[in-house]
Amino acid sequence: MKKRILSARWAVLPLLLLLTACDPYRTNPRPQPEPSPKEVEGYAPVYASPEDAAKITATDVRPIEKGGKIYVKGNMLYQVEVGKGIHVINISDGANPQKVKFIHVTGAQEMSIMDNYLYTNHMNDLVVLNIADINNVQLVDRVSGMFHLVDPSLPPDSGWFECIDASKGVVVGWELKTLYKPVCRKN
Amino acid sequence: MKSLKYIALILLAAFAVSCDKANQTASPTAAGFDNNGGTGQGGSLARFTIAQKHLYVVDDKKLHVYSLANASSPKLTSTQPIGEDIETIYSYKDKLFIGSQNSMYIYSISDAGHPDKLGEASHVRACDPVVADDTVAYVTVRGGNNCGGTTNAMYVYDVKNLLNPSQRNVITMDSPWGLGMAGNRLFVCQGSNGLAIYDISNRYYPSLKQRLYDDTYYDVIPYNGMLICMVQGGMLLYELKSDGQILKLAKISG
Repeated sequence: MKKRILSARWAVLPLLLLLTACDPYRTNPRPQPEPSPKEVEGYAPVYASPEDAAKITATDVRPIEKGGKIYVKGNMLYQVEVGKGIHVINISDGANPQKVKFIHVTGAQEMSIMDNYLYTNHMNDLVVLNIADINNVQLVDRVSGMFHLVDPSLPPDSGWFECIDASKGVVVGWELKTLYKPVCRKN
Repeated sequence: MKSLKYIALILLAAFAVSCDKANQTASPTAAGFDNNGGTGQGGSLARFTIAQKHLYVVDDKKLHVYSLANASSPKLTSTQPIGEDIETIYSYKDKLFIGSQNSMYIYSISDAGHPDKLGEASHVRACDPVVADDTVAYVTVRGGNNCGGTTNAMYVYDVKNLLNPSQRNVITMDSPWGLGMAGNRLFVCQGSNGLAIYDISNRYYPSLKQRLYDDTYYDVIPYNGMLICMVQGGMLLYELKSDGQILKLAKISG
């Protein structure tokens, strides 16, 4: 009889341990008591490899995948590829827009232009790119860590979000999408 | 710099008021490959804006100001807390309109390096880009899980008294995102519920003229006789015809 009680206790202990070990919210905010919605608009992480995250350069055009904010100056139209860079498109013929280049800037979310200089965010650094020659974009200045634009652990707004999966790389941004039964929530 | 921006605004206004003339003078080629001077234009969802040779950046709580006196080497001139859940910044003349999840803030940039708070208008908790001119500010508030609240509407504020913006109208919407104004037209993106086009001859009482359902619309920039829309998966370009018609030009995606 005594032996049976003991073994029951021993069975409970690893179970408890297992429960805490598998707590999926330990690295993320605890969810609210309210149940996870079946379908909701929310943020999902955008990932990059650490090597990729460091470089800033003009590369060949690429498909728009997670099209972000837009900017126009003269005949050139720009669209942020959320967390990855900036598409450069010539719209001198509006009926036949032509992609010109893709500027690789990890963490990019925002941009603005004055004269020949494009200002954008490389994660939380303000970077200045000389775009006088769009084929040879040059990084000319950097103001480090001044603002809080990209949080690699939490999305920009409160609400449900897709939990981070570290095996996919470093988080370089967040994109809005439809989430199905999200688990993580920022309060 | 300042005068360049005024000229751009005047051109824009002139275009919208008298599309005929503007279309002849402000054809896309007239703008040219203008990489040599001035600034361009961003959407209403932007957190970066350039005015008075300064770059204004809002993150979730603060406004950071960089002098672009030397454009290749920005210098931080000030940082100040604005509020919580800041989302957008819009500049008009010597003013900044900053949208947060529960307020619209108005700042003076007469002293460009050191913005000075003038007024504030609170509203229900929601996501809220702003566009404005001398008399009016339009704020769209979109409810939902991420934005808080359930209200979907456009608030119309009288901003003639910048110290005390007063609410003049509220227009119920389906799911308003970004918006843009040009002359007497106001374009409001409503996600999958289309792009709503309002006549704003009477600034405080916009009247719905047309609604486009070509795509899922998130933000819009009226520019040089074109309407540039941020849509699902890319961008959509329209030509704003002289007779008020809107002609779909191309979709940029993939």
